[in-house]
Amino acid sequence: MISEKFKKTILNELNLYDFDIQDDTTADQVPGWDSLNHINVILAVEKAFDVHFKGIEVLKCKNIGELQKLVNTKLDQK
Amino acid sequence: MIKTMSKKRELEWDRWVENAEKFPDKEAIIHWVAGEEPFRWTFSSILKAAESFAVGLKKNGVERGDVCAIIIRHNKYFYPIYLGISSIGAIPSVLAYPNPRLHPEKFTQGLEGMSNRSGLDWILTEKVIAEVIEPIILKEKSTIRGMFFPLEWGKNLKFEGKDLENIEQIRANIKDIDPVLLQHSSGTTGLQKPVLLSHKAVLDHVTNYGNAIKLNSEDRIISWLPLYHDMGLIAAFHLPLTFGIPVVQIDTFEWVMIPSLLLEAISKEKGTLTWLPNFAYNILAGKVHDDELEGISLDSMRMFINCSEPVRDKSHKMFYKRFKEYGVKPESLSACYAMAETTFAVTQTPTDKEAKVLYVQKQSIAKGVIELNGDDENSRTCVSSGKAIDGCEVRIVDEKGNDLPENYVGEITISSVSLFDGYRNYPEKTNAVLKDGWYYSGDYGFCLDGEYYIIGRKKDIIIVAGNNVYPEDVEDLVSHVEGVIPGRVVAFGEDDEDLGSEQISVIAETKILDETTQKKLKLEIIKAGMTEDINIKKVYLVPSRWLIKSSAGKPSRKANRERLVVKNETITWS
Repeated sequence: MISEKFKKTILNELNLYDFDIQDDTTADQVPGWDSLNHINVILAVEKAFDVHFKGIEVLKCKNIGELQKLVNTKLDQK
Repeated sequence: MIKTMSKKRELEWDRWVENAEKFPDKEAIIHWVAGEEPFRWTFSSILKAAESFAVGLKKNGVERGDVCAIIIRHNKYFYPIYLGISSIGAIPSVLAYPNPRLHPEKFTQGLEGMSNRSGLDWILTEKVIAEVIEPIILKEKSTIRGMFFPLEWGKNLKFEGKDLENIEQIRANIKDIDPVLLQHSSGTTGLQKPVLLSHKAVLDHVTNYGNAIKLNSEDRIISWLPLYHDMGLIAAFHLPLTFGIPVVQIDTFEWVMIPSLLLEAISKEKGTLTWLPNFAYNILAGKVHDDELEGISLDSMRMFINCSEPVRDKSHKMFYKRFKEYGVKPESLSACYAMAETTFAVTQTPTDKEAKVLYVQKQSIAKGVIELNGDDENSRTCVSSGKAIDGCEVRIVDEKGNDLPENYVGEITISSVSLFDGYRNYPEKTNAVLKDGWYYSGDYGFCLDGEYYIIGRKKDIIIVAGNNVYPEDVEDLVSHVEGVIPGRVVAFGEDDEDLGSEQISVIAETKILDETTQKKLKLEIIKAGMTEDINIKKVYLVPSRWLIKSSAGKPSRKANRERLVVKNETITWS
């Protein structure tokens, strides 16, 4: 389940007023989330939740729901 | 040092065979995949695989001179497929695999446009996108005769003596002036300009460029560049294959997700050369975590070559500051000026010196005569792209085509032994840029002490991370968005200091006054860009009649950009 904080972090980074993000939404469906801006979105999420991803962990995420799960796992490990 | 080009008829294929005989077990291409052991092609194994694919292509009807578009993702068989096409005298043309953002209809429209222009005969692709491509082939006037899935051929391919004889016979009749590849100048898919290059042009070019960078047998190239781009295809594919030098090929998509992959590959494979667009220096310097650098050593690197978008001194400085403790040397930070029309490189900075930096008085640039200054707010920092490489001549000319002396700003024109003959099936575009054997690049620059500095563009092309985007294409897209006044849109590149590149901004006139509806309109404009894989970073909405027109009667990109970006003008809605 996508949390409000997670969604807001992504939308803020991409300068989006609103966009519906669900578990199965993929990065390429989100306006502005292209290859050039991908790294900034990931860094923004890391900063907002004070977590740190390994590149390969992000690469394995098939959709935004999986990225949210990765954040949750990292928070649980704290 | 590499050997000088011989005068005898020589094909790219001859060089690949020679390398397979000389260094059968030497690594040729190291296919890198994140989190996996890399796959290692040797010079003999890749050739053997290429011959098998050549047999498969022949059996499917591919003939000498046919253009074979390759639309395949990062795959270890990509390379022998490419070589296999070339080995039977057909012409490989690498096209970008469709990004999921790109609407399938837009992809097919683009491919159809490209097919009609470039005269594609065959599509070699993956089964997963067959359904999208098939309708184009079935169209009555389509140039495309068929589609294959060579990745599926696998073990079914057997290489037999008779097939070899046939292929050798074909090869014996190929001339060095025959085409070896078709590459596309960058731009929106479908509108890209096809550049056909001969064996001779490519061999001469890699020889001359190899000399400029003092290519030697100890070199190892590391690259994440896409092979549909001239920098990836020529510098990181044809160059090493021709000279028997290993190259590590990283997936572009994976590099974007994990930029540290490049550093890991350099460290593990003892890389010596890499080509990077400017934004990559910013990403590597600013966006990689320290823990991803544990155990990384970059001291094997001879040259990081900055190319394909304006070179920024700040990016070099950031990169050096971050990685000097990992072994990066200042003299390894070099630059190159290149384009598909000249095969690849035109100029290159020296191998043993950092790219020269000048501080030029801003006002003097506007006047067209360079005056040097100190490093202060009145200066613009210009990074040298080096001297012309062997086989290339560069002139700086005024608007009438007259030569300008050193220090004068003008258009960069190039003559080269590896210059293209013209865009394939595009005489009007060819006539606009090719005059008396000189290519008019559309780039502005100046020469000082024999070194060339690129400072701007004649046309308003936006360069986003090394890719050219034409503002007209963006404006056309946005004009069709409901709520935008048709034709009342300008698109331009806005500097992104953080990324070390430009991003696309749009100013669009609308009659919508309500703030919430305006926000929705902005989103719709960004979404319209997405359908063509164009990322619009910023949208400025302005009221009707806000945009200033140029003397040609169209909204002026420069003047309107200046109002919002430079002067920060407030938009008043009444």
